[in-house]
Amino acid sequence: MVSHDVLIIGAGLAGMRAAIEAARQGLNAAIVTKVHPVRSHSVAAQGGINAAIGENDSWDAHAFDTVKGSDYLGDQDAIEIMCKEAPKDILELDSMGAIFSRDEKGRIAQRPFGGAGFPRTCFAADRTGHALLHLLYEQVVKCGIGIYEEWFVLSIVIEDEKVCGIIAMDIRTGILHRLQAKAIILATGGYGRVYRNSTNALINTGDGMNLALDAGAPLMDMEFVQFHPTTLKTTGILVTEGARGEGAYLLNSIGQRFMSKYAPNALELASRDVVSRAEQQEIEEGRGIDGCVLLDLRHLGEEKIKERLPQIRSLAIDFEGIDPVKEPIPIKPGAHYSMGGIKTDLSGATKVKGLFAAGECACVSVHGANRLGGNSLLDTIVFGRRAGISASIYAKENNIKEFPDYQLKETAHSIAVITNRRQGERGSVIRDELANIMIKNVGVFRDKERLFAAKEKIKELKERYNHVYLEDKGDIFNTELLETIELKNLLTIAECIVLGAINRTESRGAHFRLDYPKRDDETWLKHTMFYKKDDEIKIDYKDVAITKHKPMERKY
Amino acid sequence: MTVKGCEPFLQAYDIDVNNGDTILDALHKIKDVQDGTLSFRRSCRSAICGSCAVNINGAPKLACKTQILPEFEKHGRLTIEPLSNFPVIKDLVVDFDSFWEKVHKIEPYLTPKESSAKTKDKDGFWIIKKQDALKIDDVSNCIFCGSCYSACNTMAVDNQFIGPAALAKVWRFAGDVREGNNKKRLAKVSEDHGIWSCSRCVECTQVCPKDVKPLIAIEDTRAKAIKAGIKDNAGVRHVESMVDSVKRTGLLDEATMTVKTLGFMRSLGIIPLGLKMEFHGKMPLPNLFKSIKGIEEVKKIYEEVEKKGSRVKAGTHPKDGWGS
Amino acid sequence: MKYAYYPGCASQTITKEYDSTTKKVCKILGIELLEMTDANCCGAGLITDYNYELSITLNARIFAIAEKMGLDIMTICSTCLMIMSRANKELKEFPKLLKKVNKTLEKAGLHYSGNVKVTHFLWTLSQDYGLDKLKAMVKKPLKDMKIAPYYGCHILRPSNALGFDDPEKPVSLERLIETLGGDAMPNEGKTRCCGFQIVLVTQETAVDMIGNRLKEAKDAGGKCMVSPCPLCHINLDSYQREAEKKTHQKFEMPVFHLSQIVGLALGMSIDELELGRHLVSPENAITTVVGD
Ligand SMILES: Cc1cc2nc3c(=O)[nH]c(=O)nc-3n(C[C@H](O)[C@H](O)[C@H](O)COP(=O)(O)OP(=O)(O)OC[C@H]3O[C@@H](n4cnc5c(N)ncnc54)[C@H](O)[C@@H]3O)c2cc1C
Ligand code: SF4
Ligand code: SF4
Ligand code: FES
Repeated sequence: MVSHDVLIIGAGLAGMRAAIEAARQGLNAAIVTKVHPVRSHSVAAQGGINAAIGENDSWDAHAFDTVKGSDYLGDQDAIEIMCKEAPKDILELDSMGAIFSRDEKGRIAQRPFGGAGFPRTCFAADRTGHALLHLLYEQVVKCGIGIYEEWFVLSIVIEDEKVCGIIAMDIRTGILHRLQAKAIILATGGYGRVYRNSTNALINTGDGMNLALDAGAPLMDMEFVQFHPTTLKTTGILVTEGARGEGAYLLNSIGQRFMSKYAPNALELASRDVVSRAEQQEIEEGRGIDGCVLLDLRHLGEEKIKERLPQIRSLAIDFEGIDPVKEPIPIKPGAHYSMGGIKTDLSGATKVKGLFAAGECACVSVHGANRLGGNSLLDTIVFGRRAGISASIYAKENNIKEFPDYQLKETAHSIAVITNRRQGERGSVIRDELANIMIKNVGVFRDKERLFAAKEKIKELKERYNHVYLEDKGDIFNTELLETIELKNLLTIAECIVLGAINRTESRGAHFRLDYPKRDDETWLKHTMFYKKDDEIKIDYKDVAITKHKPMERKY
Repeated sequence: MTVKGCEPFLQAYDIDVNNGDTILDALHKIKDVQDGTLSFRRSCRSAICGSCAVNINGAPKLACKTQILPEFEKHGRLTIEPLSNFPVIKDLVVDFDSFWEKVHKIEPYLTPKESSAKTKDKDGFWIIKKQDALKIDDVSNCIFCGSCYSACNTMAVDNQFIGPAALAKVWRFAGDVREGNNKKRLAKVSEDHGIWSCSRCVECTQVCPKDVKPLIAIEDTRAKAIKAGIKDNAGVRHVESMVDSVKRTGLLDEATMTVKTLGFMRSLGIIPLGLKMEFHGKMPLPNLFKSIKGIEEVKKIYEEVEKKGSRVKAGTHPKDGWGS
Repeated sequence: MKYAYYPGCASQTITKEYDSTTKKVCKILGIELLEMTDANCCGAGLITDYNYELSITLNARIFAIAEKMGLDIMTICSTCLMIMSRANKELKEFPKLLKKVNKTLEKAGLHYSGNVKVTHFLWTLSQDYGLDKLKAMVKKPLKDMKIAPYYGCHILRPSNALGFDDPEKPVSLERLIETLGGDAMPNEGKTRCCGFQIVLVTQETAVDMIGNRLKEAKDAGGKCMVSPCPLCHINLDSYQREAEKKTHQKFEMPVFHLSQIVGLALGMSIDELELGRHLVSPENAITTVVGD
């Protein structure tokens, strides 16, 4: 059986950053990923990555903005680490060869982002994720790290409460393989596809969070889903916050810059949850246009748009038929980011021995109830690196464990059950119904009634899932089978989001209850923990780490 | 649609199309409702991950970025096939292995040159002037979708050709002011199946969905290789004899070029053809041209450009004044 | 209708017949050509491979001459067309570039203001002259002549600098053939490459391309091909025997220059068309017409 010291699941920014670290420690590291590394969703990040490298900026200020942005749910010890280490990580990316945009003097330029008191976001035009993901891929090639490309991880194998390896399917052949590992790092990204309107790639199905739950590692704060204020009307494709950072306006149907009502100081650059709610309210009160509001870039001028936001311009032209140089873009809020995820400590370790997590699938938690733009790429780099280091230390101190035989049989059986079914329902129907109910009932605004209805619906869909059948019975590149496995993951994630949201009878950050519109620190200044026991989700709570910043009212 | 082990065949599907629907939307509709076995790659659905390139009515395009109706109106049909120049795995899914191997072969990573107080600021960050960044702006847009590789004419007959995407990646580093490994990389891609095998068919630049312009990167790389003194190959001799011929006469002198490019021995080898051409009055005789009347103007241009030679670097951006 | 005529280097030596027949055809049609005898070579891309600045400045010199003549440029070579169009586009789009180029040009006593257009004989016929007018001039329609149109690369791509035919679905050659009374045989290879640029570098590769193009034309039922580019002609005609040797098949595929099929329909004789200069004799392909 093939074995590795450290096995990284996921080849986005977090996964590759972790792998590089393990390779640097002289360990045998390998990456397993269901798509080629450069196809990972990190590639789509547009706006930038935060670090206090400006003359008058400080990591302290960055930390405060992040704590405030998180609506005080972020763990302040973790936030301090991230903000303190950020400049060094940017420096490292720069020396690896990152192509950050430059200012007149040739130094790294920084743009203002929502919820930040300082222009702190480093960027590569409006394709920062692309620049960084390709950069890290180059480094992975340079380090000679092995990649199991287009391998779909089906389960993490645990013996005596310690990891011993994974079972994954080589998508090209359909063959199941066992890979042994001393330490495993999950870096599988987000679950945006739970929602119909989503900025996320079609591969973002929350697989890693389910792998963790099944392995016995809890999830945290799943009810906090970020809705991005500016996504394209028909496709949900993101228009970066960088557009507003460069000075774009938000207008309603009567041409008002309505943000002056909701955030008189920060205006368009208030925190994302605030802007999304403002938009949704404008739309619901009849000042929208066809379910949208307008993002106006025209006053920035053609030259600036072409230099700083070239991708946004082509996306608007190609996917919406609108040239932002000439017309405002219709936009609306869409599901964007999962603040919640696999609970880890500051070193990236989960509750299970030898299992680590980093990036969007993890929850340290630096984003709390609402993430600031530009902080997620930073999260992947800082905590990807840290998880790489601690997994390496763990791998050095532990031996390869025996791989139990029955696991492969069980996994193979669970797949055979699906492929052998002769009749039933197509998974795509269930997937669409789930995505619809989630956006309708568990979106920007929530209340008890809608949440309970969603809970019922998910229960029904889970039951129907047991009768899903496949038309593709082949082994080779059976994407229908993969989508069906992903659907199961989406259902579990949706259930966690809804259960967490039902319990949390307050409004905080991205979680807004119309029936409980106030933040309630007395009862709810705490993290929600999700466990899986006998196929049931169980909930528990945990304190927030507060160091310097006592909770205050949040105003922009 | 093809299945391994079967003869490839086309299969027809009827679907309803809304204005604005993309080819990827169509593929999803087919997969979700009509035929669950249909396989294709996709991820970002926003033209940035490079997963979904397929041949649409014969031309490689991103399925997620291509709208159905204009495509249908133009061709009167909609034929979707896997990319060319790649082995097919199943349906629209092709095998990228050799594509990636070639990308890896060019050592696709920065090997920083020694830095100085001029190249880095006090915090250790590189100082990069805007015009220097512009030189690699186009190539750094590549999403490795394989469209260019599929359309490439050299690739179609020489499967060892390194291909436009990997060559664009070469310029990504060769054109980077921070790079310190250029000589080696340029020497490597000057070997057989490298930069000099490109037939300048312009397909890569034409089909690229991200406007990377691989051919321009190849031209820039060629110029840089010549400047670096990597000249011992037929490609460079071809170029130099042209440069020389135009300098002497203002025109291209086919015969001297042939002799120079192929070297004496190889030019003997093509004598049968030469003889035939002569018989038809086609064999150009060396130095057949008298110079053009304005040859002095041409010489002046050469002189001026060469005078500044050291200042003008190959591959600078036209926005900046020089370069492609 | 009057142009600054730029035949390109190849048609002043190897493919002389393309130059001379173009002149004859234009005379019959009343298209006036003022030959740019003093113009230099466009560099065919090879000078771009050496030094971009040299290449763009040499092209600017060609434009400066045409500007002085007060005429737009017409060429009969696709590669010259592409190289000049690309240079011209860049000079027009980037004023800073034009200014720098002029600084050098001025040392040689020249100046280019960016007001010249570059076109190709095929485009002239299709658009400026017009196919209706051309049809009226046809004396001997190319009846039953099965002609495979061959565009090659540089008259189509990059379309943002050329912008005449759609490179995915070009039509001008087909329309021209039909106007002349011939049958345009649709063939897969018509927009693919003949390999001219590498025939002296990696001859094997180029010969494979040549073989494929000839085969595609033949498989489509073409009895001959027509090319708007002298360089493609050189490869498809002069290297045809090499391609036959390499692929172990006979093509016997004559390749006409654009001007020759027009001349044929206008009633010019085989001698006037200088068909004897081709390596693969086109005479068999046209007996039907001559016998008319
Ligand atoms: C459109 C968009 C724009 C954004 N812009 C910004 C921005 O400007 N700034 C910012 O800070 N953040 C931004 N974000 C957020 C940020 O991009 C992501 O949170 C971050 O890139 C996630 O990186 P990751 O490494 O955790 O996961 P990903 O990049 O999503 O990678 C996940 C990896 O896991 C693998 N994987 C998943 N499941 C499996 C499985 N079952 N088996 C094997 N492999 C598996 C995948 O193949 C993939 O390689 C943006 C997000 C979106 C959607
Ligand atoms: S150069 Fe363009 S066409 Fe080629 S792989 Fe890159 S993005 Fe795709
Ligand atoms: S120009 Fe060169 S690299 Fe580009 S497609 Fe043609 S032969 Fe290939
Ligand atoms: S799906 Fe990512 S490029 Fe089309």
